Amino acid sequence: MANPMPKRRLENIGLSITGFCVALVALVVVTLIVMVAQQGLTTFFVDGLDPVAFFTGQNWIPEQERYGALPMIVGSFAVTLLSTAIALPVAIGSAMFVVEIAPGFGRRVFQPFIELLVGIPSVVYGVLGLYVINSLMRAIFGDAAGTGAGILSGSLVLAIMILPTVTTLSIDALRAVPEEYRSGSYALGCTRWQTIWHVVLKSALPSLMTAVILGMTRAFGETLAVQMVIGGVERSMPSGLLDPASTLTAALTAGLTNAVSGSVYYHALWTLGLLLLAMSLVFILIIHLIGRKGAKARG
Amino acid sequence: MANTSSREAHARRIGAQDRFATGVLTVIVGLVMVLVVAIIAYILVRGAGRALTPGFLTNTSSDAVLPGIAYQLFDSFYLLLVTLVISVPISLGAAIFLVEYAPDNWVTSAAKTAIETLSSLPSIVVGMFGSLFFVVTLGWGISIIAGACALTMFNIPILVRTIQQALEDVPASQRDAALAMGLTRWETTVNVLLPAAMPAIVTGVVISAGRVFGEAAALIFTAGSAPARLNFADPFGPIGPFNIFRPACSLAVYIWRLTSEPTAGSTEIVWGTATILLACVLLFNLLARLLGKALSRRLTAE
Amino acid sequence: MSTNVSRRQFLGMTGTAAAVVAGLGLVGCSSGSDTGDAGSAAADLSGSISCSGATSFQPLVEAAAEQFYETYPNVSIAISAGGSGQGLSQIAEGSVQIGRSDVFAEAKLEEDQLAGLVDHQVAIVGMGPIVHADVDVDDLTLEQLKGIFMGEITDWEEVGGTAGAIQVIQREAGSGTRATFEDAVLAGETAPDSFRPVAEVDSSGTVIEQVAQTEGSISYVAFNYMENDGIKALSVDGVEPTRESVESGDFAIWSYEHMYTREDEAEETKAVTDAFIEFLLSEDVQQNLVPEQGFIPVADMQVKKDAEGNVTEA
Repeated sequence: MANPMPKRRLENIGLSITGFCVALVALVVVTLIVMVAQQGLTTFFVDGLDPVAFFTGQNWIPEQERYGALPMIVGSFAVTLLSTAIALPVAIGSAMFVVEIAPGFGRRVFQPFIELLVGIPSVVYGVLGLYVINSLMRAIFGDAAGTGAGILSGSLVLAIMILPTVTTLSIDALRAVPEEYRSGSYALGCTRWQTIWHVVLKSALPSLMTAVILGMTRAFGETLAVQMVIGGVERSMPSGLLDPASTLTAALTAGLTNAVSGSVYYHALWTLGLLLLAMSLVFILIIHLIGRKGAKARG
Repeated sequence: MANTSSREAHARRIGAQDRFATGVLTVIVGLVMVLVVAIIAYILVRGAGRALTPGFLTNTSSDAVLPGIAYQLFDSFYLLLVTLVISVPISLGAAIFLVEYAPDNWVTSAAKTAIETLSSLPSIVVGMFGSLFFVVTLGWGISIIAGACALTMFNIPILVRTIQQALEDVPASQRDAALAMGLTRWETTVNVLLPAAMPAIVTGVVISAGRVFGEAAALIFTAGSAPARLNFADPFGPIGPFNIFRPACSLAVYIWRLTSEPTAGSTEIVWGTATILLACVLLFNLLARLLGKALSRRLTAE
Repeated sequence: MSTNVSRRQFLGMTGTAAAVVAGLGLVGCSSGSDTGDAGSAAADLSGSISCSGATSFQPLVEAAAEQFYETYPNVSIAISAGGSGQGLSQIAEGSVQIGRSDVFAEAKLEEDQLAGLVDHQVAIVGMGPIVHADVDVDDLTLEQLKGIFMGEITDWEEVGGTAGAIQVIQREAGSGTRATFEDAVLAGETAPDSFRPVAEVDSSGTVIEQVAQTEGSISYVAFNYMENDGIKALSVDGVEPTRESVESGDFAIWSYEHMYTREDEAEETKAVTDAFIEFLLSEDVQQNLVPEQGFIPVADMQVKKDAEGNVTEA
């Protein structure tokens, strides 16, 4: 007690150890961004490809040295939006049931249950998709579905994969709505559904949107599962939901095994990686904007 | 009169609406439950037979009679162990900094953004980065350590968030009391906060372990997909099981590899491996719950 | 401290591949060790090497490694999948000891990357078209095959089968199998942009899976995959896809399975690498294991191909 110096030194040690950890994480992230950017931009600055042509080109045919990334960009956005559209109503519906109608059942049974889905590795989802969803597509649509692989199959598999994320976050969002809001609504004579629809859902909207964006982030970046069921056709634009297509991630996994480091093809693949990285940064930005808007709305 | 009847009609309408909505929501939840059960049942039905065959867990994949997954199982757990050894201390430090020390300035918000960025990175991007940075630039080659570092990049954001949450959940009164007694912030953290938050931290670590366990995309290009021949007599030698500079093949990567290049009878191995993988992840979840409960009971008993 | 190291190493990354190779070469020089005389080498030979690359003949290499271990118990060979591109870039960088490829390195690597690489052709692989088991066509001419894979022929009726859409399943761009098939079938032409296969898949395994499941589908695989259920191998121009027809040069779709090593490999692993390559090329492996795994021994070929694809009498 008499000697304050060791205390201060102790405090400094604590600060520097923990500060080092944070700095290390930040450094790794910066290294990653710089490295991906450096490799990805080589395509334009060293290999001399035209960025506009790269991002708007409709044909990705590496053996002809034609690199147009639009088919994969469209594929990535298509499966992301479609899978979110499929998963969202189910996720929010389940969240409503679990929070508003049967809270006990939700906490004890439903939540542990849906978290099982998180634990299934994405390779296993891919294998399931390959055997079950693709056969289902062929059974329903016949010849038009080709092998069954396509945007729709990819979206279905992704929808199942992001379901637990979106559901769990939606449940949290609805639970966070203060109880007084509900009591107030019931006191005015509203039914349960009116309360859920007009009061709970409205006040949970910013958090629900965050849940949706986080789900989309996962769908956008998912790799092996999507690659196994989407068909992998990169050479031209898909024209329908049953059409085989490719995503940025699928093109990367397939391409990296064949590209030789240092070649134009290899750099072009890194540019796709850079695009993925940029997109995940955009998703984070959107979440921040929603958070800020929500904070402002609440005053 | 007319007014009353229209009000009654309205009440009936919203009552019906309420019942209808409840019905729809019940159906949705029912369907989700059915879906989960169906997926798990499908995997178990196709794989449990093989997974339960004696020898599947202990034979090597080159066994002529009954190819097993002994090395893949070992590699998965070893990769996980190395990953946790790297990621837990870093996450602990980072979380403590963010909760206890973080000054409210751009440095902190930059650090938070960095961790958030990590959490949203597609695994293939981490794999690409790892294959260049850990494997080539740092010269580690295709190795367990390169794979573990790639996995660490996934694990850190999950861990930091759980530990941060756990530390923040410690009642403010405990922290205030410790600080009032003249303890430094560091002493408070180490002697008061960490023990109090331990159950939640342990649960978080085990749950994150389950996620890491099933990752494949980032490992293919960093730890490789080849189960090396292991020599248990020389644990740290060039082909020793604990040598972190040898290539490895985890269960999830093995499934990916077998679906890509099937050999005779590999389908059964794929589903058997999937079952084992699923069982491991379920076990992790169960373990997390039990450990959390046991630890908090012991702490409150004290 | 550690921050400094990683920053310096990070800067090092910006160097060329040549610098990386040079660096590894230095490491090799400083850690040289004697490997003992050849006589007692079998039991003494120890070490661990990595072999990565083409998936097409990975089962063959794995089976050979198992036999190799019986003679050399203290050796380990890590056999990774990755594709020809990975195999070639890793051997060019020197991060593995053996790089497998099913195309000539000249087709993928730059001139300066080729320096120091040694090509070992360990087997021949024949490839041929396969169709869904219910397709009632057994033979296609090269012209017809070309028409199908160019998107000009779209119905089985046009090639003598029952009417039904032809579902073309391709391998992914850059695949060695695809390169070999297209070299032989498309003869330098390329499919028009408007042509879309129903899938471009990234492994032979998935090809088999999808052809077996998809009615009216056609694709191509190496001979060793043709035995699977649900698919049927076609003859081309009346020539059956067999070992004999490839050896005689009658069946045109085939390529070498290459294993590339480096001249400047580090001493400590070179002994293992050399012994393994020698073992693969030995009479015993070539005449037993190679055909058992569905490949063709190099020595039996009556024709040979060079890196430009010219076929000549052997």
